[in-house]
Amino acid sequence: MRLSFTRFLKVLFANFFIQTSWSFFSMQSMGFLFNLFAGAKKEQRDKIIKTHKGFFNTHPYMSSYIIGATLRAYDEGDVFPEETRNFITIAQTSFASTGDLLFWQTLRPAMLLITAILAVKCGVIGPLAFIIAYNTIHLFHRISGIIDGYRMGRDIIYILKARRFTTVRHIFEILGAFFTGLLISLASLEMNYLLLIPITMLFVLLLLRRFPSVLIILAVLLVFAIMVMV
Amino acid sequence: MNFILLSVIGSAIILDKYAFGEFGISQPIIAGAIIGALFGDLQTGIFIGAMLQLIFLVGLPIGRDIPPDGQAAGVIGTGSYFLLRVANQTGHALCLALILALISAIIGGALETFVRRHNEKLYHLFMKKQKNLYLYHLFGFIPAFLRSFCLILPIFILANYIRIPAQFPQLNKELLTIIGLSVGFANSIYLFLKKTTVVYVIAGALCGLALLVF
Repeated sequence: MRLSFTRFLKVLFANFFIQTSWSFFSMQSMGFLFNLFAGAKKEQRDKIIKTHKGFFNTHPYMSSYIIGATLRAYDEGDVFPEETRNFITIAQTSFASTGDLLFWQTLRPAMLLITAILAVKCGVIGPLAFIIAYNTIHLFHRISGIIDGYRMGRDIIYILKARRFTTVRHIFEILGAFFTGLLISLASLEMNYLLLIPITMLFVLLLLRRFPSVLIILAVLLVFAIMVMV
Repeated sequence: MNFILLSVIGSAIILDKYAFGEFGISQPIIAGAIIGALFGDLQTGIFIGAMLQLIFLVGLPIGRDIPPDGQAAGVIGTGSYFLLRVANQTGHALCLALILALISAIIGGALETFVRRHNEKLYHLFMKKQKNLYLYHLFGFIPAFLRSFCLILPIFILANYIRIPAQFPQLNKELLTIIGLSVGFANSIYLFLKKTTVVYVIAGALCGLALLVF
C-alpha cells in the first residue's frame, strides 16, 4: 500500500505547521488533526476528529512517522479505532524522547557548535553549511517519516531501533565532543586564559547543578557587567 | 535600514522557532548572518550571532519547558547593534546590544509562555466549532508573530533613537569573545563531555594544537 504523491505533498506541507497552535493544554493536538486532515479523504474526516481531538505531543520532526501510520490505519478502514488510539499514545512518547535526544540534545547543538567555529574562522560558509546539513537530516526524517509510517503502519514503532536514529546520534555525540576539544585549543592562543577558565568553570557548575536557564542568563549578564566595569 | 521593516523581518525569522518549519533559520548565528547581510556587514553580523549562539547553545525546548528565547536574543542583539552603531561608538553599541539581547531572551521566554496559554483559547474555540479546524489552527500564526513584533519593535525604536552617553561602558570584540567562548565552552562541556566521549575531546584538542603549530 502506497500513499499517492499528491497526498504525500499535502501531508509534508501540513507537517511544517504541526506546532503553529501549540498550547499547554492540548499541545500539538490541533496540529496533529491538521496534518491528518491534509492526508485524509473527506469521508474520513468526521471519524478522525471524533477519535483524535484530545491531547497530542511529540517531537515535531518525528510527528510525520505517527501521521503516516495513522493515515494507513484509516485507509485500511480503521476497524479498531481504540487500537489506533493506543498506538498513538505509545508512539508519541517514544518518538518524542528519541527526537529530543537526537535533535535537541545532540545533533542541533553539535552542528551549531561546528557552525560557530566555522563562522568565526571562515565567515559565511559556516551558516550556509549549517542550513544545508541540518535541513538535509531534518527533511529526511519528515519525508521518510510519512513514507515509512504509511508503509509500515503501526509497526513503525520498531523503526526507533534503526541506524538512522542510533548511529546518527552516536556520530554527532562524537563530533560534538571533538569540536569541544578543538574549540578549547583553538582559543588558547587567542584568549586570556586567566579569565576564560574561571568563567567557564562557573557556568559548568551552574549547568551541572541544574540551575534554571533564566538564572544562567542573569549570571551571564552579571559576569558581563563585572567584566565591563573592571 | 528602517527599524519597522527590520522588526517585521526579525519577527518573520522568529516564526521559524516553532510556528512554521523549524528549519533553523531563527538560530542566532543564522539570524545574525541574515541581519548582517541586510546592513551590508555580514562579518560583524555572523560574529555577534556566533557569540550569542554559543551563549544559547543549551536551550532545550523539551516537553513543557520553555527556555529563554535565544532566537529573539539573536535577532535583537545583531539588529540593535547595527541600529545603535549609526549614531554611537561601536564599543557602546556592542555593550548595549548585548545587554538588550540577554534581557530580551528572558522577556521573550515569558511572552512565549503567555502566547502558548493564549493558544488554549483557540483549542477551546475549536472544540465548540470543530469544522473550523484550519482557521483556529492557522490563527496561531498571529500571536506567534505579534509576540516577537511586540518584543522587537520597542527595542529597535530605542536602539534607533538613543544617544549613549560617553560614561557608558564600552565592550570590544575581544571581551565579547571571552564571554561567548566561556559560556560556549561550559555549554558544550555540559552537553558532550561524558565518560565515553573524553577521548574525542582530547583528540579534538590535540588536532586544534596541531593546527596552531603547523
